[in-house]
Amino acid sequence: MDLASINRKIDLTMVITVLLLCTYGVIAVFSATQSGMHGGNSYLLLKKQIIGFLIGIAALLFMSLFNYNKWKNYATTIYILNIILLAAVLIIGKIHHGAQSWFQSGAFQFEPAELAKLLLVISLASFLTNHKGQLDNIRELVSSLMQVGIPLLLVLLQPDLGTALCFLAILLGMMLVAGFPARHFAIIILAGIIIAFVAIQFHVLKSYQLDRLTVFVNPDNNVRGAGYNLLQSKIAVGSGQLFGKGLFSGTQTRLQFLPERHTDFIFAVIGEETGFFGTVLLLILFFVLVMRGLKTAISSKNLFGALLAAGIVSLWLFQIFVNAGMTIGIMPITGIPLPFISYGNSALIANLMSVGMLLNIYARRYV
Amino acid sequence: MKLTDITLDRNTKPEDIKSRLMIITFIVFGIFTVLVSRLWFLQVMDGQMYTGLAEENYIRTIPIDAPRGLIYDRNGQVLVGNRPSICVSVPPQFAEKYPETLSKLSKILGMPTDEIKNKLSDKKIDPLRPRIIKRDLNQATLAYIEEHKMELPGVDIVTEPVRTYPYGTLGAHIFGYLGEISKEELSKLKNTGDYAMGDIIGKTGVERRYERVLRGEKGSQQLEVDALGRPVRVVKRQDPIPGSNIMLTIDLNVQKTTEQALGEAIQQAHNSGEPADGAAAVVLDPRNGEIIAMASYPTYNPALFVGGISKNDWDNLVNPSNHFPLNNRALMAYPPGSTFKPVTLMGALADGLTSTGEIFNSTGSWDGLGKKWIRYDWNRAGFGRISLAMAVADSCDTVFYELGLRFYKRTQEGLQHWARIFGFGSLTGVDLPMEAKGRVPDKKWKKDFNKGHPEFQKWYPGDTVSMAIGQGDLLATPLQMASFYATIANGGTFYRPHVGKAIISWNGKIKTEFKLKPEDKRTLPISKNIVAFAQSSLELVTTKGTAAGAFAGFPVKTAGKTGTSQVQGKQDYACYVGYAPADNPKYVAAVVIEQGGHGGSTAAPVARKIFATALGYQDKGARYVNDLSR
Repeated sequence: MDLASINRKIDLTMVITVLLLCTYGVIAVFSATQSGMHGGNSYLLLKKQIIGFLIGIAALLFMSLFNYNKWKNYATTIYILNIILLAAVLIIGKIHHGAQSWFQSGAFQFEPAELAKLLLVISLASFLTNHKGQLDNIRELVSSLMQVGIPLLLVLLQPDLGTALCFLAILLGMMLVAGFPARHFAIIILAGIIIAFVAIQFHVLKSYQLDRLTVFVNPDNNVRGAGYNLLQSKIAVGSGQLFGKGLFSGTQTRLQFLPERHTDFIFAVIGEETGFFGTVLLLILFFVLVMRGLKTAISSKNLFGALLAAGIVSLWLFQIFVNAGMTIGIMPITGIPLPFISYGNSALIANLMSVGMLLNIYARRYV
Repeated sequence: MKLTDITLDRNTKPEDIKSRLMIITFIVFGIFTVLVSRLWFLQVMDGQMYTGLAEENYIRTIPIDAPRGLIYDRNGQVLVGNRPSICVSVPPQFAEKYPETLSKLSKILGMPTDEIKNKLSDKKIDPLRPRIIKRDLNQATLAYIEEHKMELPGVDIVTEPVRTYPYGTLGAHIFGYLGEISKEELSKLKNTGDYAMGDIIGKTGVERRYERVLRGEKGSQQLEVDALGRPVRVVKRQDPIPGSNIMLTIDLNVQKTTEQALGEAIQQAHNSGEPADGAAAVVLDPRNGEIIAMASYPTYNPALFVGGISKNDWDNLVNPSNHFPLNNRALMAYPPGSTFKPVTLMGALADGLTSTGEIFNSTGSWDGLGKKWIRYDWNRAGFGRISLAMAVADSCDTVFYELGLRFYKRTQEGLQHWARIFGFGSLTGVDLPMEAKGRVPDKKWKKDFNKGHPEFQKWYPGDTVSMAIGQGDLLATPLQMASFYATIANGGTFYRPHVGKAIISWNGKIKTEFKLKPEDKRTLPISKNIVAFAQSSLELVTTKGTAAGAFAGFPVKTAGKTGTSQVQGKQDYACYVGYAPADNPKYVAAVVIEQGGHGGSTAAPVARKIFATALGYQDKGARYVNDLSR
């Protein structure tokens, strides 16, 4: 097979882009964990991330070889599995940073919410495919909301506001592609506003969550608390200037002014150490990734594939925007990781599985 | 959910899916445009500003104090020096990390743990700066700490320069002491130099007046700190520039003699039953205003202030029963008594109220203000016919009552006018802080001073008469008196008295003499002849007059005037102001001894001892003198 025929079969652009993103991520995680706060073993998290990457590649290969159409057959199982996982973590999960969102067994850690995003994409794609043509019915709207509603409620109980918002992003993106009429979006947005109002009014959100969500509007209000993190993040990104301070040389990162360096605020590490040049390079990679995902959706042979691709793309796009946006002060601070970059094996593996699924959809576009 | 045929149909893509995906594509473009443009503004447009903020975050500058300049006497003897003080220091952040170190240290130093903790949490010092826990360690403690360094993480032995006073209390009032800067001082000094809370500055004397010369420039150490404020490494170090040294006009030997003579005079006064609880002396060079010696009794030990004075010591120094040893009495105002009479003399001659040849009749009492207001001479027997010059020599009060009355009748406030010309009632401008102005009383002053008490507001002729003999509300500092007599001694020129002679750069290479500015030298509007008459009258004091006993047998002719001033509610204050040698004056000395008896017996012998040392004579001193004059 020559390269052109390989490229017909395999989306090489996406493969290369994803590999570059993972490399970028591994380097950023390594730099962010230099400052010796992990028991002095600065290679520990690097190793873990590389192991996660290798497992993720294996998962990617499996997914890319597995006929995506078959997932539809297991949609109900997947939906139930998703709910079981999210419910179980509330019972036997490990509490970390005030949220019960981890399974832990020895060195093995698993965050079901990350996998839940992909599982939700599959079950929702299946549901929307099955109900095609009935979507302007308000009952369909309610039942598709229910599809998302139960998992969403479960992650909110952890509480994991970030993942809940990701679910909503998936829902909106897939509903758009599935052909919901515009008025349904209006209803959803209206409902969102009402729910947000109720949540704030009746203190459903904890006050620190509210702080984090609103601080980006006026960071000076809260310079020691959530505003401090935002300010330090903006200082990190801004002080990177055009070409950055150099890898491993970011003072905000190395001297630990930046919070959550290897996870939520990894974009700020990249901004500080590689500058505008580096952040734009990263955004270009993300842009290519997202565009290839959309290309996959368009070229998908059937609606199910298009919905899967659209759900995955919506999720990534939302995460990229909110995560990068929060480090530069245009989005609220929510615990949403940057795909392929933030430290975290569960997310990395789930994202690589998503890539595998996209590759499979792409490969099967003519079959 | 079972798959049916219908679902397969349903799985075909709707036709409008492309346009729907285009919406997402637009959103993608929108989002990436927003992110990139925001990054452009943040990293490229505002990058400089954020770089500055990042540096503020992690760069901390710790000041390093400059060694203070030394203080020399006019011959280059070190009067105030620096010595290394071996101290234990602990950085505050270490204490949090190793609490057991504190308890060990408390045992080694014999200090309560709480006291150590207090020192560590002193908010006034830069939070990164290691705190001095104890100064001047003894050898045994030092050796113990050095040996056990491994068990005492964070504990450091540092050497800090502190003030040392080789002559103990000598000259304490001239040099002054050091202390921690106060809030008021900080707000005042902030504009003039690099001052911060916790700084040690000159509080009084030369240390305060020449603070900026002696201080030098702080150095700094730039540290990189992490988010918790822990230092990571030293980025840059700039060494401090030591303060310049200052050479004073003070002569160590004369200063020693002056203080010793004052002490002896106090002792002598005590022996004769006088309370004598305070004294001051100033020695001036009448040719240029240089202060050769300045003493104030009681004195204090400036070394008590090194490293912060203890509460106990401070309480002692400010306890009224100790007569305020911190006060420099040479700059405080006293009633000058008869030492003021030369003002009346020269003023009356200048205003034509008397002539050098006038003969007065002294009967012991004087009724110039009417029979109801008879005033007496100190010598109730009277002097009989007496010349103007002998009236000075014998300090004859009736003659000066008469001159005072003539002033009142003929020139209104002419006496006040002359007193002001000779420098009374205003600062001499000496380069020492906290100089008193003294007081020349007049109508306006009395009216303002007794506001609300109309019965005391009126100026009476008797007020001028009292002032003519240096009594009443007149006040002058010993320095003003010395300066006035210097003007007589040099023939009518006022030189601003001063202690600063030269600034010597810290490495000793450059010596810059203070130059007299035009305003530091004034020729007073008084004729030479009148000054010459005053000089000869003052000479008569030491040969035939009230100080003849005190100066009997002195190897060189001197001139001067005794004074015994009355202070309400106190015993008489003994005063003497004089200069020597009389024909070529090199030194003026002004001496006052509070509640010390009579000027001729208590104060004049002090001046004699000073002159002997200053002029280099071996002199056995005055024999016992009993002066009864006022």
